[in-house]
Amino acid sequence: MPPAPLIEAEGLSRRHGRREVLRGVSFTLAPDQVLGLLGVNGAGKSTLLRILAGVLAPAAGRLRIAGAELGADPRAARTRIGWLPERAPLYPELTVAESLVFAARLRGLGGAAARSAVERAVERCALGEVRNRLCGNLSRGFAQRAGLAQAIVHEPPVLLLDEPTAGLDPLQAQRFHELLATLKPGRAIVLSSHQLAEVQAGCDLAAVLHAGVLDSPAPPGDGRALSQRFMALALGSAA
Amino acid sequence: MSTTLAIARREWRAQFASPLAWTVLAAMVALGAWLLLSGVESYGAQAARFAGRADAPGVTDLVVVPYFATLATLFVFVLPLLTMRSIVGERRDGTLPLLFAAGAGGRSIAVGKWLGALGAPAVLLLLLVLMPLSLGVGTTLDVGKIAVAALGLAALAGALCALGVLCSAWAQHPASAALAAMAAGTIGWIADAAARERGVTEGLIHWLALPGHLTAAMRGVLATVDLAYFALWVVLCLGLAALRLERLRETG
Repeated sequence: MPPAPLIEAEGLSRRHGRREVLRGVSFTLAPDQVLGLLGVNGAGKSTLLRILAGVLAPAAGRLRIAGAELGADPRAARTRIGWLPERAPLYPELTVAESLVFAARLRGLGGAAARSAVERAVERCALGEVRNRLCGNLSRGFAQRAGLAQAIVHEPPVLLLDEPTAGLDPLQAQRFHELLATLKPGRAIVLSSHQLAEVQAGCDLAAVLHAGVLDSPAPPGDGRALSQRFMALALGSAA
Repeated sequence: MSTTLAIARREWRAQFASPLAWTVLAAMVALGAWLLLSGVESYGAQAARFAGRADAPGVTDLVVVPYFATLATLFVFVLPLLTMRSIVGERRDGTLPLLFAAGAGGRSIAVGKWLGALGAPAVLLLLLVLMPLSLGVGTTLDVGKIAVAALGLAALAGALCALGVLCSAWAQHPASAALAAMAAGTIGWIADAAARERGVTEGLIHWLALPGHLTAAMRGVLATVDLAYFALWVVLCLGLAALRLERLRETG
């Protein structure tokens, strides 16, 4: 029997004013799967991720996260989600360890539970050497890792990453993907990207989001079909 | 509740990590010391006038209460400097999404920010209240009256912090948040000035203006209507800030 999906999205829609940003987005994602979300700027990737993270409410549709209905039981659903926005949300005056303690407290962890969660996240994201450094003084690569550590500090089964490698140099991006691979077991991960190669290399499934419509997630394969579809949509939108 | 407290703790820490808060505290303590010493000097000059009178006002009435009244006016301009970054700082640092993703709603963030923003003003108030108490070494003070006046100042500080959080929720820049809070506080402070000039001392405008709600406290009378007024001010400001935060969550 296949494992129960961790993300079940059905008919998600969202409007910004009169513009329809998402139109009937549906997909499911099982544990151990990484879905790469491709799309040009303004395609609705960030909006979709914000809805999946429970930050934005969809105008229509249903969303279940690890069995919890986001609309009916938002608290339970949110505890199962880790979200890393495009810009890692770090407080410049806090050290990495303090940021993680704060993130753990926000998630309702206190005392010993928070401390052990922080140690786990520091170890997983290889932040030991910068744990006492102020977040305001981190390089972009370490900042992304610290943001990722914040997102996983409460051990969520669902991880949402909004263009996590944007602004990283190729080496930092590669390290980030290696780190992501270690987080994959038991988790469903959605990452958005502009880069076909990144999705092709690091994702089990890929889907193109264009003008608010998501095509069916499919293995990226050698990337040719995906590339053709992405370029056709991108060029169509540019025209 | 744990989310609100976590936000408050971080805000408290952030305030004391900022050199601005320490500068404001130092400047206000220095100013407070100067005001108090001026008051004592002036009392020394007037004391002979009241000698031998049974109902003569003491140090509390002639030095401490005017000192507190001046501090209240200064709070309108100083406290916005301590609260200006509370929400607009989160927006500029890109950290609001962290709070939203953890399930913190607008109300929880606004209340947490307010509780945290009370940190530096609480320390400031404590220092400013301890200074006149030191006069007790050489004279007799009406400690009860001082306590009630300090409570009035604390209520005013709470209301002004809530106003600061509200302005910070709407502003695009910390400086504009501070200016907006100073402007709104000044309007609240002088709202009934024109009416008072004309000898009108009752009515809605008097009830709305801030200074009238400190008068009883400065006389040593704890009026629940005044505490309710400041509480209403806090609830209104934080409610509007929460609405703004919900809007920010929607628009990103």
